Amino acid sequence: MTLAPTLQVREFVEIPCTVDIPYRFAAGKYLSRFLVELRDNGRFLGIRCPVCKRVQLPPRIVCAVCHVRNSEWVELGLEGTLTAFTIMHLPLTDPTTGKPHKPPFCYGSVRLDGSDSVVDYFLNVEPSMRRLRVGMRMRVVLKPRESRKGDLTDILYFDPVD
Amino acid sequence: MKRNVAIIGGGQTHHAGRRPDVNQGELVNEAVRAALTDAQVAIDEIDAVLLGNMEFFEGTHLTDCWLVDATGALGKPGLKITTGGTVGASIVCAGVYHVASGLFDKVLCIGFEKQEEGDTGAILSAVAHPLYGRSVAGAAVGYFAMMGASYMAAWGATEVHSAMVAVKARQNACKNEYAHLRLNITIDDVLSSRMLAYPIRILDMCPASNGACALVLADQKTAEDRCAKPVWIRAMETVHNEQFEFDWRDVTTSKPMFSRVAAHNIYKRLGVQDPAQYFDVFEIYEPATWAELVWYEDLGLCPRGEGFKLIENGVTEIGGPIPVNPSGGVLSTNPIGASAMLRIWEAALQIRGDAGGRQVPKEVRRALATAYGGTNWTVLTALSKDLED
Amino acid sequence: MADRVAIVAAAQTQFRPRRPEVNYAEMVLEVVEKVLDETGLELGRTIDNTVSCSHDIWDGQTISDIGITDVVGGHLGAEEKVAMDGATAVYYAAIGILSGHVHCTLCVAHTKMSQTRRNLVNNIAFDPLYTRPLGLDFTSAAALQANRYMHRYGVSERDTAKVVVQNLGNARHNPVAFRRESLTVDDVLSSPVVARPLKELDIAPDADGAVALILASEKVARGVTKTPVWVAGMGACYDAHYLGDRDLSDCFALEQAASQAYKMAGIRDPRKQIHVIELSDEFSYQELMWLEGMGICTCGHARTLIEDGATSLDGTLPVNPSGGLLAGVPTNVAGLNRVAEAVLQLLGKAQGYQVAHARTALAQGHTGICGQHHCVIILKRD
Repeated sequence: MTLAPTLQVREFVEIPCTVDIPYRFAAGKYLSRFLVELRDNGRFLGIRCPVCKRVQLPPRIVCAVCHVRNSEWVELGLEGTLTAFTIMHLPLTDPTTGKPHKPPFCYGSVRLDGSDSVVDYFLNVEPSMRRLRVGMRMRVVLKPRESRKGDLTDILYFDPVD
Repeated sequence: MKRNVAIIGGGQTHHAGRRPDVNQGELVNEAVRAALTDAQVAIDEIDAVLLGNMEFFEGTHLTDCWLVDATGALGKPGLKITTGGTVGASIVCAGVYHVASGLFDKVLCIGFEKQEEGDTGAILSAVAHPLYGRSVAGAAVGYFAMMGASYMAAWGATEVHSAMVAVKARQNACKNEYAHLRLNITIDDVLSSRMLAYPIRILDMCPASNGACALVLADQKTAEDRCAKPVWIRAMETVHNEQFEFDWRDVTTSKPMFSRVAAHNIYKRLGVQDPAQYFDVFEIYEPATWAELVWYEDLGLCPRGEGFKLIENGVTEIGGPIPVNPSGGVLSTNPIGASAMLRIWEAALQIRGDAGGRQVPKEVRRALATAYGGTNWTVLTALSKDLED
Repeated sequence: MADRVAIVAAAQTQFRPRRPEVNYAEMVLEVVEKVLDETGLELGRTIDNTVSCSHDIWDGQTISDIGITDVVGGHLGAEEKVAMDGATAVYYAAIGILSGHVHCTLCVAHTKMSQTRRNLVNNIAFDPLYTRPLGLDFTSAAALQANRYMHRYGVSERDTAKVVVQNLGNARHNPVAFRRESLTVDDVLSSPVVARPLKELDIAPDADGAVALILASEKVARGVTKTPVWVAGMGACYDAHYLGDRDLSDCFALEQAASQAYKMAGIRDPRKQIHVIELSDEFSYQELMWLEGMGICTCGHARTLIEDGATSLDGTLPVNPSGGLLAGVPTNVAGLNRVAEAVLQLLGKAQGYQVAHARTALAQGHTGICGQHHCVIILKRD
């Protein structure tokens, strides 16, 4: 049987494949302390660099600017200021669950009192530009103690203060 | 004394939203063949093959190993680098080191992504720490949306300015036969397009593209003997940023920003006083419109907070005094592993006078390309027509 | 072009099956602090850039160098991630210095195999269209290679078992190793079969750890140490990807890489001119195959070298005095660890497993299925 000299592709095959690899992430010494405090005591701990004095969140072993080990633990306030936000309309997949969050929803960056870093998280604000404003004061609302697991999703959301 | 390095040829695919007709290797091979043809170099003459690609995007570990046939790496030295959005430029930097070392004369640099073969949004969200922030799943669009909200609040710009950037990009792309999105749109089209994450609308944001880019780098002797229009790589500057502080989206921050530090470093090295005068064209990496405005400021093309005035006054149009992204930029074409290399290649085409319909209408002797990726990382590349430039 | 390149410091974590108490940054910091202390060099000042080595899929993070950026001077600094085995990171770091663009480079590799499942990660390296659905991993593929090699050259499981006995015996003196045992050939032969002919003891175990080196140009090196270890030669090469495109008992890529390295280093008779070899024995048979691929002996005859004791610690050409990968070294870190162990030998710092009078060493790493890509580094002392 002779084969035609020219390649005639009538069908392009597409092979579906789910890459599903389980991971077990070590939080390490610093983040572990933060997450355990969050889970057990509902407290936010930052860490301060001995050289530049900035308070970093999440706590980490080294100040990347000064190249020295961070040393002083600082308890942060549970209120802060909204520095940035957005209203998400896309059902983007949450890579930790494989499922999307239901849009529209708000999330933003809050600088907790005492911290130099911001925390990005969901905002309990109606998804409309009438309510959201850079500079608004926000308060952390945690899940009840029994549902907290020791990761950032122990935060339910940030609530506006007022 | 460092050996001088030139781009003696390059190629790119016609970038597209869907390429079901090729697998990853075939896609890469299109760009590789185009580059070898443009350089008039046979694959056997290539001394090393360097590949940039993010394996998570397409779900294959060690893509360089799989694609040895398509890249031409079989039987040759080579390696893969993975730095995220900057990788296309990181690979060129690696190519420069290879040639400048004296061990290799002709090096093939490749960047590609076949975004449709993975879940781009989920994988971009996986840039975030698994235990701290990943579940918010904002991806790139969320990040730049926050930048946009911050920019408007800080400097009084409006969504119209963002739309102006979008229109410039999309209209320029209409002149670029290789661009993915080539949309003849107006400001009203942008402002009435679907909102993705406030304030970013679909026309303000880059696509996920399938595409590849390849460059042939060579030493000075090879370039002078064999290439009619070598484009010299004069300097490259890589600057990263710490893991958790994504401050680029807080446009009023007083912290030293990776982008400004990189610009300062490269300008110092080259003796640049006024970048808008020194460089004739800029190809910057703008995943969203707001990033372009911030790049104008970070590169020193205008004072802080005034980027939106440049676009308002048409300064960065293709025929303007400071043309930015005549190619249509990342907003028009974004195969992530190739995007940073495309900035360099498009800038090189401008210098060669080979940019066809998107050629800027003035003499181009020097160009600057930027990259963006990771947790606020960049690679800047300065190119010139002659070594004396 | 610049002058020569030297390695001026090396440090390793203790390799362990699991390091659950540290994250990547903390683990890498252990070795970064050591090399910085040893040399007095500083990130952001006297160190120009970092070349890191890790994989997104092993780390579970898109752009895995993000996790270590802070501890390697990445903030407002230059860092690039080579996504290959660690030996290739050394290769690339050396090229950077030879180019004259940088003069002093921190080179680090990290992996925590305990955080995920090796066979699943390995399987993802197979192309998604043709071979991945078969469900192979690197071990099952290596079993194919072992079968082919052993059949072609008449190498037996007893021969490969001797590699395990020798290496794990050497490892008893190496403080960073964790699989350290006095075994007999029969102990190896009776360990559980994983994929015939590979038994559990024939396979490098999962490990967590990190290694750091500092490379410098000659000028900088002489200012930092009295005992620079020169990168005298290097080579790298890709073989074909599809297992069916190769005769798995051939070492094409390794031969090419070794040949490039020998040429650069002026080595014409590796058997005589090299004093110690640290190679990547991910599987026991590979020690024999790689020795042949490097031209230390003809194909099929490495088993005689080990039989005669030539490759033992007090033999004429010791191989893996450190215990090799079989003693427990994480994947990816492996090649950087091979270089680090070779450096320790040349500096006379391999206490308890020191090869006498070692002045020229060979370190080898491989990436991909059945060693598709090989990288060879030749190191020399003045």
